[in-house]
Amino acid sequence: MPEMSKMKKPDVKVVLLGDMNVGKTSLLHRYTERKFKDTISTVGGAFYLKQWGPYNISIWDTAGREQFHGLGSMYCRGAAAVILTYDVTNWQSLAELEERFLSLTDTANHDCIYAVVGNKADLTDPKAQLSRDSDVAPEDRTECEEDRTEPEVLSACPTPPASPASLSGVMLHKQVAPEDAAAFYGRILRYKGLDEKSSLPAEKMCFETSAKTGYNVDALFEALFDLVLPSILRKRNENQESPTVDLEECRGTSSKRSRTSCC
Amino acid sequence: MERDNHQEGEAEGVKICDPPSESNPPADTLATSLSLLGNHMFPDPVERNDSATVNKEEPADSLPSVDTAEEQSQDANLDSNQVTKLEAEETENSGQCHSDVSSQSQSSEDAAADNGQGDSGEFVVTMLAKAKLEEQGIGVKGRSSPLLEAGTQESPAFISHRDEDVTADSWRQHRKHVFVLSEAGKPIYSRYGSEEALSSTMGVMMALVSFVQSGDNIIRSVYSEGHTVVFLQKGPLVLVCVSSSRQSERQLRGELLYVYYQIISMLTQASISRIFEHKKNYDLRRLLAGSEKILDGLLNLVDSDPSFLLAAVHCLPIASSLRDSLSQILQKAITPNLVFSILIANNQLLTIIQEKTVIEDARLEPADVHLLLNLIGASSAFQAGEIWTPICLPLFNPDCYFYAYISYLDPPECTVCLLLLSTDKEAFYAVAECKRKIEEAMVAQNSLSLIAKVQSYSVSQVGVSDLRHFMYKPFDVPDNYRQLTQFTSPEMEAPYSSEEEKMRLLDLYRYMHSRIHSTSRPLKLIYHVAERETLLAWVTSKFELYTCFSPLVTKACAITAITKLLRWIKKEEDRLFIRYPPKYSTTPNPSKSSRGGKSDQQDSTDNGFLSLL
Repeated sequence: MPEMSKMKKPDVKVVLLGDMNVGKTSLLHRYTERKFKDTISTVGGAFYLKQWGPYNISIWDTAGREQFHGLGSMYCRGAAAVILTYDVTNWQSLAELEERFLSLTDTANHDCIYAVVGNKADLTDPKAQLSRDSDVAPEDRTECEEDRTEPEVLSACPTPPASPASLSGVMLHKQVAPEDAAAFYGRILRYKGLDEKSSLPAEKMCFETSAKTGYNVDALFEALFDLVLPSILRKRNENQESPTVDLEECRGTSSKRSRTSCC
Repeated sequence: MERDNHQEGEAEGVKICDPPSESNPPADTLATSLSLLGNHMFPDPVERNDSATVNKEEPADSLPSVDTAEEQSQDANLDSNQVTKLEAEETENSGQCHSDVSSQSQSSEDAAADNGQGDSGEFVVTMLAKAKLEEQGIGVKGRSSPLLEAGTQESPAFISHRDEDVTADSWRQHRKHVFVLSEAGKPIYSRYGSEEALSSTMGVMMALVSFVQSGDNIIRSVYSEGHTVVFLQKGPLVLVCVSSSRQSERQLRGELLYVYYQIISMLTQASISRIFEHKKNYDLRRLLAGSEKILDGLLNLVDSDPSFLLAAVHCLPIASSLRDSLSQILQKAITPNLVFSILIANNQLLTIIQEKTVIEDARLEPADVHLLLNLIGASSAFQAGEIWTPICLPLFNPDCYFYAYISYLDPPECTVCLLLLSTDKEAFYAVAECKRKIEEAMVAQNSLSLIAKVQSYSVSQVGVSDLRHFMYKPFDVPDNYRQLTQFTSPEMEAPYSSEEEKMRLLDLYRYMHSRIHSTSRPLKLIYHVAERETLLAWVTSKFELYTCFSPLVTKACAITAITKLLRWIKKEEDRLFIRYPPKYSTTPNPSKSSRGGKSDQQDSTDNGFLSLL
């Protein structure tokens, strides 16, 4: 049987949230396809399944457009991790996270973890222009330079500060400093009523990435997947409460459980 | 250029028209129609593009009707047809009659050729715009006003003067502009150029609309040399098309209606009305931001895909056994609240199955399928994932959302797409499980590789040497009333392989279509000798057919060819069409409330659709 015919039950849910044109789809695309390409504004939400060791992680890439705002809480239901994405060249995109998106996470798991991610770091930060992915060929990158302008043009009206000078080589003014993101992370914890000391520290949960060059993208997703593992284990233990029984999974759990219980 | 072609063609061509008088029964065979033709040879009506006129509707209770220039010119040609024509007019305008703003254009048909006429017509339009702006206190003081200067920079040709037309920039030269604005005059969408830059232009458009409205009238269209401006008001939205193509007003209005439906499909009619009731000057771009590409894509499809013109769906020709097996696969993978399962390859329908109770109440309209296909085309950038998105099917029910599951079955090629529509917002995982089952069954039956081999067919398969291309649309006949309207058409091959030539052929078809479906003088058959090809279009009670022949074909040859073609289509129809769309009944309890609503809606939506035809 080819692999696609097997139903992979997702073990855990990760949701990407953020204003439109911050690069949520591009981040995920960079991580899963190792490429940066022109994307079209997402409609609704898109579901991806990522194999992470023995686990299946479902990732929901949501539309940032206000049109689909009402659906946000549905996509977030039962999420184990939420990636709140903003654009480092656009202060408003961070403000939107707080105003529009944070409340959507009310339906997420009570132990949900939050990452605050500033994308498009390559536009402001020389070090982010160098890819951390070994598999990105240089010519691949020059191609991307041209691609970048396209979605930017689209974003011209809703997020004006981001666009006009995004010609390659020109450094844009960074509108969101890492400290702003960290402060926002603190406010998330307060909003959730979580104790800052017992929660994951801001320096661990705030990232600056570039989907275009691949800078920090793998680090973000891998760190997050490692952090949601405990949540997977707990869910597996509570499996009997799940309304549907997956025979295949039951067969597999005994061995997996013995392997994972040591860590 | 296009226009010259047509006119030359008509001058050379043998023009035969069958007047649609009540006494003529629908011609069911070509022979009958042709025997009728001999008696009715009419000269071509005078083209009225040279005059700038403003057509508007008047409520039936106002003054008696005044004919437009076009009507008069045709009356002169065609007295016998007057009664039928006026009837057609009346049904189209639902009891409202045409009047003409420009007094000169009422005078006589020969004024149509007068250049001075055009000037004064445009003058009227410009004055209308100015008058309204002044009334609103915007303070336009002639040409020196900075507002007007700004406006003329991007304003479409219809309010500009002829001399400015010469210096037309590339923006103006676009074949077809489409603008969407709110009743408050706020820009919502422009096909070319940013809405901000066009806000003054759109202000003028709104001024025109409200000026005519203040006289208890509705502005329908403005004609100027080379351009047709068509207005469509739908609820709180105003849609405007500025076209230099030779399409008829009715076709352009139909296209605007598609744009409106696409907006509805994203936001629903109910929510748009609610938003504007609440706040008249709401900026709808907030909600449509990001959807511009979907509208752009729609307009490109409208220009390049005859499905929209014919208001029918093009399905991929496949062996009926394969289609049946695919339908069965879909039928076996169902879940509660699943309503439609649609399989698409290369943007053409493979099969479609519907929940039984739904099909009793309503059917899926071609326009809704077009919107779905466009959505898929515009959202396929990231094809590895499974999309779950709300979508409204405006003709099915303009006020409610379906939830659409969209996934490609053959990544990374991404040609075969599965679309499942559910009424349950929370059903993603259940619906995704259906896809798993479908995938499994398709692997077992090797369906994907069979689909990959499927190609559109060549006109040479028909075996008629002079036939270059055709479009055949069978009509709903009583026994398959609930069936989706479809059409079939071969690949466009040489000499129509380049984009320009394809467009030229489509333009010829659009012209034939506008003649056949003319509101003032509908025809049953046209034999049109164009410069580089000969076309024959024929409408009966059973089908609508457009054919394109090599230029040297004789009328007799064309008729034999069509007889052969019809025989071939009859023989192949199981392969060319989805003949018996399968139904299923999923569920013990499909949501009853939504169905109740649908059946109520159906009457009104059907009517809405008729106006599109």
